[in-house]
Amino acid sequence: MNAAKHNPSSLKRIFRRGIFYSFLIALLPAMDILAGVLVAPPVVFMSEKGKAGRITVQNPTNAPKEITISLSFGLPESDSLGNVNIFLNDSTVTDPRSCLEWVKAFPRRLIIPANGSQVVRFVAKPPKNLPDGEYWARVVIEAQEGVAGIPMLEADDRITTKLNMVMRTAIALKYRTGDLVASLEMTGAETRIVDSKVEAMLDFTNKGNCSYVGVLACRLLDANNKEVSTFDLHLAVYRQLRRRIELPIVEGEFQAPYRVEVTVTNRGRKDIPPEEMIYGNDITQTLAVES
Amino acid sequence: MIENRKHLGLAKIGFLCLVVVIWIIPFAASAQEVAVGQATATVQAVLAVTSVQDLNFGNVLQGVPSSADIDVVAEAADFSVTGSGGAEVALYLQLPEYLWNSTNTDRMQISFSSTDCEIDANIGTAATKVAPVVADPYNLPATALHATNNILHVYLAGTVYPAVDQAVGAYSADIVLTAAYTGN
Repeated sequence: MNAAKHNPSSLKRIFRRGIFYSFLIALLPAMDILAGVLVAPPVVFMSEKGKAGRITVQNPTNAPKEITISLSFGLPESDSLGNVNIFLNDSTVTDPRSCLEWVKAFPRRLIIPANGSQVVRFVAKPPKNLPDGEYWARVVIEAQEGVAGIPMLEADDRITTKLNMVMRTAIALKYRTGDLVASLEMTGAETRIVDSKVEAMLDFTNKGNCSYVGVLACRLLDANNKEVSTFDLHLAVYRQLRRRIELPIVEGEFQAPYRVEVTVTNRGRKDIPPEEMIYGNDITQTLAVES
Repeated sequence: MIENRKHLGLAKIGFLCLVVVIWIIPFAASAQEVAVGQATATVQAVLAVTSVQDLNFGNVLQGVPSSADIDVVAEAADFSVTGSGGAEVALYLQLPEYLWNSTNTDRMQISFSSTDCEIDANIGTAATKVAPVVADPYNLPATALHATNNILHVYLAGTVYPAVDQAVGAYSADIVLTAAYTGN
């Protein structure tokens, strides 16, 4: 047996090498998750006590990324069918709850090298005598490859095309001042059976002076109080919002008539730090399902 | 010699433990709640948009419209959106009307029909979609990310219409996908 192979310094070297390769192996499962530009946190909170905010933009790819930071205004809005969308608007915004005019981002254009990251800061300069409440904007992080997107001509007599894919992530920015009240009211509810599912149309109105951010949970129960199906989603109500919920009537020994138990609470959100949550009222209501 | 064997044995055990611990770290970090002893920290789920594949028409001929097939990996555009599993994401596509040549002296019309987009909240490619939902690219519905895979794909096709007298050259334009959580 070779004594040098097993002396303590060799073992240390083997051990260090083992650590190195283990880290490489450990990174493999993370590769899929780290495929795009990452922005954290998903919501920027600012207040009269802390007029500065920050996000970290990370480029986990092996190519430099050109990043543009801009501010827009857009709230979750719904149509009459309960479809929700966010339409961003960055000019002629007259909403009194917009902080677009007095929040600035630094820097607004940057190139993040491969596997690099950059902190982007926000500074608020709110007008004097701003009424109590929450003021909103969306931070739009636009990323594209850090090289020009002009296609290379393969031959002098050909027409070639190149569509540059630009990726934008919009995260919420909230500036808070004074006393904040989170209050939500369910102003309307309709249920009906469509094919093999129960459709519930729920109308919410925000009665507070800040966005109501919580969890909407629905349970479909049969005549014997047996749970047929459930549905839950993260809810953000800024003013009015209509949500369409579909609960499948799964196969089983369930008996009509059905009921939908609706619960709304702003406890239990794990994606927002508890110290940033404005806790308000809970709603619990049971709706009979019309056949 | 016996001392060396002991060292070797300890090193092997230490190495194995390290491998196990390091393998566990990424999975533990992907959970939203991380508890260590008495301390609990909230790890916030980030939202990321990635361009997996460009919309590709290849070389086109003057006067001959060319379409990209939404089921062909090398042709259909593929955006992936990753984030918090089950969270609903609002999606918005900004689409060009024309592609321009590098000197901005000639343009080529491009169009997208109301069935040129498909959204699939599953892992896959344009050729291996699991449960695609056809959507109007000008009015994409908010869609929940897959509950456990934390992903959705937006696939896009389209058609370019080169004119009969289209100038030879390289034409380009931008396609922008915006994603935002509807729940915060």
